[in-house]
Amino acid sequence: MTRRPVDTGAPDRLYTVTGGRSRADDSFDLVTLVVAECEPSPGMQSEHVRILELCRHPTAVVEIAAELALPITVIRILLGDLLATGTITARHPRLAQSAAASHPDTALLQEVLHGLRNL
Amino acid sequence: MSVSAPPTPPRTQKASRSTPAVPAIVLPAAAAGAAAAWAAAPEAARGWTATLAMTAWVCVAVTVVLASHLVGRARRTAAGRRTETGALKARLAQENAALVHLVNVALPAVAQQVRDGTSADEAVANTAGGSGPHLRQVLQSCAGLMEDAVRRAADAEAGHREALRETRRNTAELEHLTGSTLPATVLKLREGTSAEIALAELDWPRGPQARACAELFVRELAHSERRTAAAESAAAKSLSRVQAKAVSMLADLREMQDRHGEEFLGDLLRLDHSTSQLGLITDRLALLMGGRSSRAWNRPIVMESILRGAVGRIAAYQRVRMHCATGAAISGYAAEGVMHLLAELMDNAANFSPPIDEVHVYVEERTAGIVVTIEDSGLKMADAAMRHAEEAVSGRTTDLASLQGTRLGLAVVGRLAAKYGVGVSYRPSSRGGTGVVVLVPPQLLAQQRDTGPAPAGRTFGGAVPVPGPAPAAEAPALARRVPDVRPPAPPPEPTEPVVRPRRASATAGGLPVRSPGRTMADAERERGDQPRQSADPAATASRDAGSSFGAFHRGRRSGANGGAPAAGPPGPG
Repeated sequence: MTRRPVDTGAPDRLYTVTGGRSRADDSFDLVTLVVAECEPSPGMQSEHVRILELCRHPTAVVEIAAELALPITVIRILLGDLLATGTITARHPRLAQSAAASHPDTALLQEVLHGLRNL
Repeated sequence: MSVSAPPTPPRTQKASRSTPAVPAIVLPAAAAGAAAAWAAAPEAARGWTATLAMTAWVCVAVTVVLASHLVGRARRTAAGRRTETGALKARLAQENAALVHLVNVALPAVAQQVRDGTSADEAVANTAGGSGPHLRQVLQSCAGLMEDAVRRAADAEAGHREALRETRRNTAELEHLTGSTLPATVLKLREGTSAEIALAELDWPRGPQARACAELFVRELAHSERRTAAAESAAAKSLSRVQAKAVSMLADLREMQDRHGEEFLGDLLRLDHSTSQLGLITDRLALLMGGRSSRAWNRPIVMESILRGAVGRIAAYQRVRMHCATGAAISGYAAEGVMHLLAELMDNAANFSPPIDEVHVYVEERTAGIVVTIEDSGLKMADAAMRHAEEAVSGRTTDLASLQGTRLGLAVVGRLAAKYGVGVSYRPSSRGGTGVVVLVPPQLLAQQRDTGPAPAGRTFGGAVPVPGPAPAAEAPALARRVPDVRPPAPPPEPTEPVVRPRRASATAGGLPVRSPGRTMADAERERGDQPRQSADPAATASRDAGSSFGAFHRGRRSGANGGAPAAGPPGPG
């Protein structure tokens, strides 16, 4: 019998990550910005830890999904857990913009433009 | 026995001497009586008286002489007879003595000589005595008979010895056959040697029955081994196709889960779960049939993923509570085996506990390796059942004949445990049910330093120096990658968890945690630094804007078909 190619994926199935849940509440959409309120605590699920690490600064849900390579729904379920325990806060970017008015600087916008042209 | 000679009667001589005296006395007396009768007779009658007297005397004389003669003859005859009797008696005694000699001396001597190997004639010749020809003949024939008997006895003895030797040889041969030849052949056949080769190498017994028996045995066993091997190989090959199909289905499902949004996720997850269970069943059969697992990992898998991979394959995965406090990873080559082993044990625990009770899985890291404890709160196993389970998971018997119906899980556990050197032991659980303790030996663990940075390339902080004081930079970085210390809330773990040096700088409750070798002031300072530095605008600006945008783009693309609105009106929160 020939040796099969080795698996490169992850052994965890998504239902084990979400504990069997497949529905998220509506607290998050793709661009909701998430900020961690505290450091990851030991014993946390590794996805929670990674989200908290990512969200040291405000990060969009869609970014988190891309970084964790998980479907958006799964990320929203996980974020819902964190929100319920109060370890993150979520805010919408428009609200954030109106509140803080922190426009990206010119250099960043130029870099974005450059990146778009290269796509 | 000796016979004495008969005594000679002394009266014979006396009687013979007195016999002539009787006529000598009677004849004169009769003559005197006749003379007296003549004298007394008248003269006239003297003439006839004298005649009569003379006649009477003559008659008497004749009678007396005749009688005397007859008596003498009778005496002589009697004496002759007596002599003859004496001679006969003497002879009889002699014969008797010879007979006694024959019986007492000659026959035993001849018997002894014949028994010693002398021929009958020589023995008879050597033996003295045996006076009469008849006795000689008797001796001769006795010796002949004896010689014959001795020869027969010797023949019988030799035959008996021969038979005994034969029996002994056969017994030894049979013992050799059953004790060493056949077991060795059985081993060879089990290893896959064909019947012809095994028969050619067989140490054949000499006896034809034993040969036939051995040949029949070897051929039958080889046939049965071949049948088993063929069945196993066919099963393993077919199962490998099912396995491949299941794996590709899982990959497809995962891809669909990414592609489709929330409305399909539930269904896809259900299908995923069913396929994973199917994968477990197929893997179980494949391993029993000598095949391979459906998956093989080329990189270390952290314990959390191992547990999830295991629990995802059982039906009642939602009843399993995992308490994983270690960041250790299992080497790729052993990861699938350990996962399967844990899945079987969890499945067992979930199946044999009430459907409302939870199964708890604890993982702790010890110097002896990683200890995984699976505890259910079902019925306590009976001693016999526990012994049976212990025996099954020991991996000592890999014989398919020991399988029982559909309860194959523990047999697979036994094989996997033996293959990877994982210790599996049963004990009564402190929660009321049964506990299984799995010890994953350190040689199956991957080096943790190597596992950490591998996925870190995808993390955000990979390109950015981790904020925080320099001496503590290493510790929190690692601690964030892998949750390493148990929560302060005491878990229902009977033993004290191992506290490792790599730990977070603060507990969930916000209390500082002092690592060994650091002062409390350091920990306090570091805790104070964290929020300030993350709020630092310089640190925020130092984010790699390009990678950030790239992540956004990737997430947008993968979530394009998602149920969440892309950039619609602001949602709540």
